[in-house]
Amino acid sequence: MISAENFPEYNVPGVVKHDFHPYESNGGSVVAIAGDDYAVIAADTRLSSGYSIHTRKQNKLFKLSGTTVLGSTGCWCDTLALTSLISARMKMYHYLHQKVMPTNAISQMLSIIMYHKRFFPYYVSNILAGLDADGKGVVYSYDPIGHCELASYRAGGSAGALLQPVLDNQIGLKNQENVAKDPIPKEKAISVIVDTFISAAERDIYTGDGVIINVITKDGIETRNVSLRKD
Amino acid sequence: MLPFNNGFASPLWHNGPIPGGLYNFPGHNGPASQPKKDYGVQRASQPITTGTSVVGLKFDGGVVIAADNLVSYGSMARFQDVQRVFNINNKTVVGAGGDFADFQCIKRYIDQKIIDDMCYADEYEMKPKSLYNWLTRILYTKRSKFEPLWVDIVVGGVEDGVPFLGHVDLRGRSYQDDVIATGFGKHLALPLLRERTETGKPIGRDEAIALVKKCMEVLFYRDCRASPNFTISVCTKEKAEILGPFKVSQNWELAKSVEGY
Amino acid sequence: MSSIGTGYDLSASQFSPDGKVFQVNYAAKAVEKSGTVVGIRGKDCVVLAVEKIITSPLYEENAASRIYTVDKNIGLVLSGLLADGIKLLSIAREEATNYRMQFDRTIPLKILNERLSAYIHAYTLYSAVRPFGAAVILASWDEVNGAQLYKIEPSGSSFGYFGCASGKAKQQAKTELEKLDLKNMSTEEVVKNAGRIIYQVHDELKDKEFKLELSMVGKEVDGLHRIEPSIWYEMAIEAGNAAKKEDDSDNEV
Repeated sequence: MISAENFPEYNVPGVVKHDFHPYESNGGSVVAIAGDDYAVIAADTRLSSGYSIHTRKQNKLFKLSGTTVLGSTGCWCDTLALTSLISARMKMYHYLHQKVMPTNAISQMLSIIMYHKRFFPYYVSNILAGLDADGKGVVYSYDPIGHCELASYRAGGSAGALLQPVLDNQIGLKNQENVAKDPIPKEKAISVIVDTFISAAERDIYTGDGVIINVITKDGIETRNVSLRKD
Repeated sequence: MLPFNNGFASPLWHNGPIPGGLYNFPGHNGPASQPKKDYGVQRASQPITTGTSVVGLKFDGGVVIAADNLVSYGSMARFQDVQRVFNINNKTVVGAGGDFADFQCIKRYIDQKIIDDMCYADEYEMKPKSLYNWLTRILYTKRSKFEPLWVDIVVGGVEDGVPFLGHVDLRGRSYQDDVIATGFGKHLALPLLRERTETGKPIGRDEAIALVKKCMEVLFYRDCRASPNFTISVCTKEKAEILGPFKVSQNWELAKSVEGY
Repeated sequence: MSSIGTGYDLSASQFSPDGKVFQVNYAAKAVEKSGTVVGIRGKDCVVLAVEKIITSPLYEENAASRIYTVDKNIGLVLSGLLADGIKLLSIAREEATNYRMQFDRTIPLKILNERLSAYIHAYTLYSAVRPFGAAVILASWDEVNGAQLYKIEPSGSSFGYFGCASGKAKQQAKTELEKLDLKNMSTEEVVKNAGRIIYQVHDELKDKEFKLELSMVGKEVDGLHRIEPSIWYEMAIEAGNAAKKEDDSDNEV
């Protein structure tokens, strides 16, 4: 009798075969820049899968506190699950400690929450921007399983690889000679971000429609909108 | 509970849902995030009896959702008189595409929620955003267990006088917009609807209904899984109502001029 | 008290030599102490009415309600210990939910009555539990079965009725109900009689304040169980006040 039982190597317990794919790439890009007394974070507003655009006005920036904003793209259902969990945990922290969670604590919590799903990860590209305890701008970037890195500027999402070198050059002043390494002014940072998104919309079909920019300073979070090409 | 009885802090969120845990259907035993003890299983997760596109549109003071009356079995037009748009209460409406059995299963729970609302007799009713978010969590939980409910649901309604329109799919991926279409409608109906909404001019109730009817006609001509019979649900601040069934007035005169096949 | 337990009343699991389960009788006593409730079944409606005794002015108007909705067209009224009754209400709702989940329709009142009776009865069999100190009246109306009315006693026994009463003035209310031609009674008449009876049986000397609670299910309210639907509720109160006035003037003569 020939059956699967006779060939144990073909019948390994624990092997799961599925024709359903739990993940979907819904596109979108995030860029963030930290300055001495500000942080700017921006994300496009296109939500798509494949060649179809679900909506042209999806905000992908999540205000976690008065000084911290999370930009999240990738598998949109994971983004929704993750961000609603984070906001619940923010509230729990608030009730327990009677203070708003500071940016560095949020960055650590985000890493832990994501690593908790190490073997069925949130398929998301996260960038966290905010002000630290001294009021200085900070940017943290993540991979889908929770690796966290502090940076001063970062691009992520579907056009992340396209945008990061531009930021390296324009903000990090990499490969530039005879330029003064002065701090980047806020308006300069914003205009570079807008330019990167305009460029990304030209080359990445998953980025476009519009950009929502959050400018975080000690005075609060200011929101700006810029239109992008819609094709 | 004594907070400092043994030196350990008591759990912060004692009897509530586990933050980050998956939200189950009501009445399910045990927390959803508990891993299953058994080894892997293989199951067919594909839709069987399906409904095709659902089209939704916001207008000045309300929303309209339309879907045809066909539930297919593969390529067979199996059930030809099945309504796929429903009034949940007088401020919430839904339209269902994808596996119809899965939707019926979800709808049983929704219907019970409505009765629970009546039992409380406190004049409070479920609002569209609540239903929308609930569906998001249910569908995300099922996809995370690799047991997806293969549905595409459009939720509409009026909440606090403001029209609401949202879409949830089998993964729990959700978004809100002024225009929504699922399935084939994404390709055929959305451009027609967006063409109108992007002018920025307000749309009246009658125009919205006419626009959605046009979409159903286009879908019937080009979607092989569509039927000429369709139903429309209109929800305004005053009430939710079902219109129809309507029938696409077909014109195949064009076929006579097609040659060379 | 007609009989005392003489040692046989400590447990619901033991009979007395003359065949009584005293714990069940005591539970019935708890029901007899509560405000009067009536259920009246007319031609195409059922009306439930309660004499809710207000023991303190500090309570909110709607505190300690005795009428509840179990399902779209099923009403439930409690007499006896309120907390016991609320537990029975949740069981009734659970039964209705389960039935709908399985059969996609509202539970027939006959079935709900059987299930709830069996549940209440189970609490009269064991030494570890105490019977429910509450009686339950169930009412429903639908196109197919028309108006239906059941009452379940703390013993778990239940019957269908045209009119039933429970609580303090049960006897008096029953006497009033027996005078009426309930089978052919219009909704309006049923509502008025319900209001009248509750106001008439209320004993002003023993309990000062009371609030009439009223609900109805039937054709005139779209086949739904409605608690205190405005026009009908006012009609009942009016009928009640009129009856009271008449009674008072009779006494003066």
